[in-house]
Formats: sequence, structure tokens, C-alpha cells
Amino acid sequence: MDHRDYRLWDLPTRLFHWFLALAIVAASVSGQLGGGLMTLHGRIGLAVVGLLAFRLAWGLVGSTYARFGQFFPTPARIRAYLRGEWQGTGHNPLGALSVFCLLGVLIAQAATGLFANDDIAFTGPLYDLAGKARSNGLTAIHHLLSKLVYVLVALHLAAVAFYAFARKQNLVRPMLTGRKAGTGEPARGGGAVALAVALAVAAVAVHGARGGWMPPPPPPPPAASTPDF
Amino acid sequence: MKFKLLIAAAALVAIAGTASAQIKPEEAIKWRQSGYGFMAWNMARIKMNVEGAAYNKEEVVKAANAIQAIANSGMGALYLPGTDTGTGWEKTRAKPELWTNKETLGKVATAFNKEANEMAKVAAAGDAAAAKDQFGKLAATCKGCHDEFKIKQ
Repeated sequence: MDHRDYRLWDLPTRLFHWFLALAIVAASVSGQLGGGLMTLHGRIGLAVVGLLAFRLAWGLVGSTYARFGQFFPTPARIRAYLRGEWQGTGHNPLGALSVFCLLGVLIAQAATGLFANDDIAFTGPLYDLAGKARSNGLTAIHHLLSKLVYVLVALHLAAVAFYAFARKQNLVRPMLTGRKAGTGEPARGGGAVALAVALAVAAVAVHGARGGWMPPPPPPPPAASTPDF
Repeated sequence: MKFKLLIAAAALVAIAGTASAQIKPEEAIKWRQSGYGFMAWNMARIKMNVEGAAYNKEEVVKAANAIQAIANSGMGALYLPGTDTGTGWEKTRAKPELWTNKETLGKVATAFNKEANEMAKVAAAGDAAAAKDQFGKLAATCKGCHDEFKIKQ
């Protein structure tokens, strides 16, 4: 048996993937249950902002197969793939389409969440920038998009199952180990400097999402200043 | 004959009297919206205290008592038949199901009352951690009703 394999997904890409999966599950559960979990929901949202910003940066400075340019699903590539003529490594054109859809929808989902309110006691960190009326509209989009996230995640899982059973291709193992069986051009690049840049981008995104650049709120009135009438 | 007429007239006046004492639909919608708006302020006050650095027991007691009072005010009376449409301070967002699904309505309303009463009790005891926990439970009962009976915009 041939035991040759090559480096496909770098560690930051894999960590991003699994943290994002975990965050989506946690955000869905906490958002659906609401109540005291809304504070946690907001924190998870900020973590997702950081993860997505990291991935966008990593798509430019990461290693070979993590780069958007490497797997951008042009119509020509998709047609070739559907005809069974695509010969490539990394994300196939359909998978790439799924990657971009998921990233796009999740960016919109995280962004609308920052301005959202739940009509009870929770407001996103940038709520004040939108005001109640616009926040309500963005909240409605946030609720709608959550359904779309479920659909895309279900498609993603179905595709993984399809490749596992119909095509006998294990997509999960490379996402765990980073290595793919067979021969191929190993992934290069995405070193320490690139990682530092991507992490810095993520940190800046989270800072902004938390309202770090918003004018500071007026100081709260001194304690027990509520009159007794 | 005259006597009968008098009785009939008196009855008419009585009916007219009750009719004028009845709440107008737009008033009912305004009042219930006001109730929720006032509760929103008090929910925000509790949240500020249980999530902020300092816990001010007096503030939380006042806010929790206000929510409890509204929860026990019999606000259900403001959901007059036909007021699933109409405009108070703004267009009502009550779903028509609120008037038809009495069983679920009873469940969510009872849950809210229970947690609002408990919130007031917990606030009076003055333990910040318990107040935070109870605040979460109370907010969940708000969501329980919103999910069923409030139109998402």
C-alpha cells in the first residue's frame, strides 16, 4: 500500500475551520434559547468576526491551498469540474463555491448581529450606530440569514458525506491532519510573518466590532440617583 | 307603557354608559406598547447592574418591582378582539394567533408571571449572582412569548 501523502491544509486553516464550526453551533444554540445566553451569543459573535477576518487575511497571505486566488471558482473551472475534466488540488470548484458562499453569508450574519437587538434586553455592540428602527431591520435579516446558514451547513455536511460514500474520498481526515493521501504539490508559505499579519487583522476587526472606535458612552449617573417618585 | 319606555331608555343609557367606558382599540394598543416600553427600561436597568462592575441593590429592586407590577396588572385585557391590526404608538406587532391559540398564550403568560414574581423576590434578597441568573430566566420568558406571538420585522 502506498503511504505517500502531502501537506494540503496548513494548521491555521484547520484551526480556523474547527473553531468556526464550534462557534456556529454555539451561536445557533445560544441564539435560539436566548434569555441569559444572549450575552454569550454576543461574545461568540465577536469571536466569529475575528475568525472571519483572520480567514479573509489568510486567503491572501496563507499557504498555497488556503489562498482565494488558488481556488477561486471561475465559471470555466466550474464547467470543467462538472464535465469531470477538472484536474487540480485543494478545493475543487464546487467546494470553492461553497467556501465563498459560507464566508459571505457568515460575514453578513456576523455584521448584522453587531447592530441587532432582541426586543428584550440584548443589543449588539454597534446598536447605537444604527438606532432602533434600522436595528430592527438588520435583526430581521439576521434571523433570515440564520436559516440560510443552516441550509449551507447542511449542504456542506451532505457534500462531505457524498464524497465519503459515493466517491470514496475522505475529506475529513485532511482537515484534521492537514495531509492528503497521494501525490501532489505540497502547500508552501503561510509562515510566522503571514500568521502575525492575519492575527493582527483579526484583532483590529474584533476591536472595531466591539465598538472600540465609537465615541465613549456618557458616564453613568452616580449610583442610587433614581429619585423616589 | 310610559314606564316600559322609561326602563328601555334607562337600559339604553346604561348600555351607552358601558360602551363609553370601554377602551378604544388604538388606546388599548398604545397602553400595551407603553407597558412593554416601560418594561424595556427596567430590563435594561437590571441588566446594567448584573453585568456591570457594581451591583446596586436598590436599583434592581425598583426595576424588578416595576416589571412584577406590569406582569400582574392584567395587561391581557388590552388585547381586545380585533386589535391584531391597528396602530398605537406604532403599528401593532401582535400576531393573530394570540387571539386563537389560547393554550400556548396561557403557557407563555404564566411562565412570564412566575419569573417576574421570582425576579422581584430575588432582587429583594440582594444577591447579585442570583439576580443575574434570574434575569436570564425572565428574559427567556419574554422571548418565549415573542417567538410565538410577536411579528418579527
